Amino acid sequence: MKNFWYLFAAYSTVWIALWVYTIRLSRKNKELQEELHDLQARVERVSTK
Amino acid sequence: MFLDRNHMFHAIAMYISMTTAIFLIFAYAPTDKMQGIVQKIFYFHVSSAITMFFAFFVVFVASIMYLWKSSDWWDAVALSAAEIGVVFCTLVLITGPIWGRPIWGTWWSWDPTLTLTLVLWLIYVAYLMLRIDAHDPKRARFAAILGVVGFVDVPLIRWSVEKWRTLHPKPVLIQEGGTTGIESSAMLLTFVVCLGAFLLLFFYLLWERTSIAQSRHSLEVLRQEIDDLLTR
Repeated sequence: MKNFWYLFAAYSTVWIALWVYTIRLSRKNKELQEELHDLQARVERVSTK
Repeated sequence: MFLDRNHMFHAIAMYISMTTAIFLIFAYAPTDKMQGIVQKIFYFHVSSAITMFFAFFVVFVASIMYLWKSSDWWDAVALSAAEIGVVFCTLVLITGPIWGRPIWGTWWSWDPTLTLTLVLWLIYVAYLMLRIDAHDPKRARFAAILGVVGFVDVPLIRWSVEKWRTLHPKPVLIQEGGTTGIESSAMLLTFVVCLGAFLLLFFYLLWERTSIAQSRHSLEVLRQEIDDLLTR
């Protein structure tokens, strides 16, 4: 079982990094979309005045 | 909450399958008698390779659709799939030598399979470099052509694994005649779960990246509208 823990640590690190990345990506994407909708609404309001 | 209901279901399935895969690899699948613990890289290496082929197939289809329909959505799908495909191809090129060193006694060999995989990586890195200015339609069309032509390398890699006598082993998962070379059912189950986790991850990333690409496009349209308003 030589190197078992190294391999386990490598697998787990990659998996945890992917978890963190996907959660951050989703959060950022959601924030970006909300900001975009807000901006679109503002531009529409200004252009109809 | 930052995810809608369907997307949330997808994310939960992905996280569960990723955790299950780790558990199965280290606590359920038997250790290979010949190769020892290093054989467990197989689950990561082969799953990454299949996901990479799938990603580049998506680039191929989306590029054809973009050339045909000139739709920005297909362009965004092709670009996103290429980005993810390059990440998985990088994983294949990293895990392969880590596995190969103790088994072959060398990190790298310029045999056809390895060289063609490196060429595939270079083709799609070139694709991404072409797309640095993502809003130039001329570059997008060139990249789409590269996305279609570059895919020719994928069946060549598969063919090289099957037909060429190289350091790289013959196909293990599906051999000639449709049989599988994985003798242990525990290993096969572990591999299927690991592949499922990778494919779920691929679709999740593809959805997010395409969504970001569309937001970028909307932002460009909005910028144009603001410029028009200011110059009125």
